[in-house]
Amino acid sequence: MQPTRWLMKGRSVWKGPHIVPLPIVRPAAGERIRPIRTQARAATILPSFVGLKFQVYNGKDYVDVEITEEMVGHKLGEFSPTRKPFIWSRAQV
Amino acid sequence: MVSPHNPVHILGVNFHELKLVKKALESFYGLGPQLSQRIMAKYTIHPRARLGTVAPKTITALTAELSTMTIENDARRIVQDNIKRLRDMGTIRGRRHAMGLPVRGQRTRTQIQTARKLNQLERGGTHSKI
Repeated sequence: MQPTRWLMKGRSVWKGPHIVPLPIVRPAAGERIRPIRTQARAATILPSFVGLKFQVYNGKDYVDVEITEEMVGHKLGEFSPTRKPFIWSRAQV
Repeated sequence: MVSPHNPVHILGVNFHELKLVKKALESFYGLGPQLSQRIMAKYTIHPRARLGTVAPKTITALTAELSTMTIENDARRIVQDNIKRLRDMGTIRGRRHAMGLPVRGQRTRTQIQTARKLNQLERGGTHSKI
């Protein structure tokens, strides 16, 4: 259980990490693949995702996220902000 | 009993001899009620004891005990590194810390004083007692 525990961050052990079936294709050597487009913001980042490129939906567009090793255990949605900070400009008045 | 108004040194910090031992211990960052209770039980100090009533030998032992613990700047660094990691990864949580806004989805229309105070990249401040 211990290796999977830190993937879950407080989730019940019997549930395991939240795994969403994503269309992940392993590229052949030298071949480039398109980023994986997904709306599954709640999907846990698994160790097997490291190095892949995702496009995570934020309600409006798809934000590019490249998975690094330290992101494992977080959710995809944590890297795709859903709100735009309000910046006052004269043009809006 | 030490003569009146004789400062007591714990880990290089001066305390008034009438200060409660519990309060003196808890004035270090990263040392709260639980740990202070545990330390005082270990050296059989009464919960309401004041620093002047504690034997100098015990004070030295307390200093030795505290110097082995993760307190003050070590404790701050742990918290700040965790926030920095979130920020460097590009998470929303890291961004909210940098903006000084609530991190866990609380409302921001009113009542964000606590977030303003606490949610900073340099959480816990840079000033150390020691």
